[in-house]
Amino acid sequence: MPGSARLDPDLAQLAIEHCYEQDWSDGLPLVPVSQPLLDRFLAQTGRGPQEIIGSLEQVGRECTVELAAINAAMAGCRPEYFPVVLAAFEALMLDRAARGGGFQSTSGPAPLIVVNGPVRGELGFNGTGGAFGPGFRANATVARSVGLIVRNVFGIKPQVLEQATQGLPGRWSICIAENEEESPWEPLAAEAGLPPGTSAVSATLLRTCEFVDNRHTQDPEQVLWDFADTISRTGALIFRETSCGVVFCPEHAQLLAGAGFGKDDVKDWLIEHCGRTQAELRRAGKDGVSENHVRFAAQTGDGAGSDGGFFRVLPSRQHVPLMVAGARNAAISMVVRVFGLWSGTPVAVETRADVPAEAVGRTR
Amino acid sequence: MPNAILDPTGGAGRAPAPGEGRGGVLAPRRGDLAGARVGLLVNTKQNAGLFLEEVGRLLAERHGAVSVLARTKVNFAQPAPEGLLKELSTECDVVITGIGDCGSCSASAVTDGVLLEGRGTPAAVICSDAFRGSADAIAALRGAPGYRYATTPHPVAVLNPDQVRDRAAAVLPDVVALLVSAAGAS
Repeated sequence: MPGSARLDPDLAQLAIEHCYEQDWSDGLPLVPVSQPLLDRFLAQTGRGPQEIIGSLEQVGRECTVELAAINAAMAGCRPEYFPVVLAAFEALMLDRAARGGGFQSTSGPAPLIVVNGPVRGELGFNGTGGAFGPGFRANATVARSVGLIVRNVFGIKPQVLEQATQGLPGRWSICIAENEEESPWEPLAAEAGLPPGTSAVSATLLRTCEFVDNRHTQDPEQVLWDFADTISRTGALIFRETSCGVVFCPEHAQLLAGAGFGKDDVKDWLIEHCGRTQAELRRAGKDGVSENHVRFAAQTGDGAGSDGGFFRVLPSRQHVPLMVAGARNAAISMVVRVFGLWSGTPVAVETRADVPAEAVGRTR
Repeated sequence: MPNAILDPTGGAGRAPAPGEGRGGVLAPRRGDLAGARVGLLVNTKQNAGLFLEEVGRLLAERHGAVSVLARTKVNFAQPAPEGLLKELSTECDVVITGIGDCGSCSASAVTDGVLLEGRGTPAAVICSDAFRGSADAIAALRGAPGYRYATTPHPVAVLNPDQVRDRAAAVLPDVVALLVSAAGAS
């Protein structure tokens, strides 16, 4: 490594410790940010440093482009990732639950960030083997950036304004590229209406991720029943209805597509078959539904329907976002348990052509 | 001279200056609640409606409050809208708000209390005792460090109606103490 002998690890350590002492860290070391590094980030966008890109009314805080850039740099992003960070943050703030109390919630939800389009290859976002990480700088640092913005800019820290009961493995680290090349279906961003080939980011809050391993059958309905079992589990049912997506591995997606299932067919099948019987809901103390749609243990048995019927829990296609990521080496997919409801709106990533010349000039 | 390490908080992480936000936060207190018009600001958390209704009923029965006006927040995670706070502070002499029983609603219930105090209306916020961290932090953030509120033991959501009424009775002395001045009308 030419030049490494001139780097000073002892000075670097002092700067890292300084960041810990300021209570800026999520627990892992931060990159100390200087003005020249910040300038390199700001040169990647045509947006002004003081432009506000998100606010949380309940804590009286606003995030500017500049503060987002400092946090993205601290998270370990390369400057060229910054437009993706901006798109990811904007996409997440379209999620009503994120604007509401999501970041403060006892459920400690994690953003799911999905990257589509050519920016995946240009910046090295992984969407194949090990898509959920770790091991890839772009995926790891973009997700971490969002967590640091919530912590430092919104001031929502664990055990203070953030009240997660247990938190969630993977919080602030879930950023996947969609494996568009091995998906039989149109990419998430294109499905949501963006022109094919657009680099875009979608985001929503998750309660958890749960694997479904079915390398056992070629029957598409048997495979879907295996997903329905995980999606329908009572432990995840809080309200009358729920939202739950699937990140299909290429093998499952191709099996389903090969059997004639389009994305909407899969959604409709899951909407039809995911749910529980009255008896199963009662057994778990969740057979009643209050006026504000919260489930409860019905005292008299006359809660949400008492005819012993089957209660579906996915009300619409919007409640079942589907995408494809992972390697083609096994039929292992991930059920992604949505905290609120995905906005259904991807945010296009700003491209170099969007950046005014004077902003580019700042890179020197 | 090395470059400075930049602050990612925009200055928000700094500690309040001595005395900042203190004083002038609390609305003037009455000597007692006889004849008081009570407002209830229900945040829709499980059992919050019954809990506050019972507190209101007991304030009328035992402390001479003359009326109870109940209002419900549309979004428990956010502070109450200005119009709702204005109505409560106009129509009521004191307001009870809660139950702060989640991460976001414990914070917003305290915020509502601080905002009502700023409008001159004494407020008693009720939180589950598991959410003191959030409640204290938002009080400081809203310029009222040390703002006092009442707590009820966690959990609240799973209680049956009789248990909720018992809890309301148990917290009543603390609620009254928050709303009146021991030294009489101030």
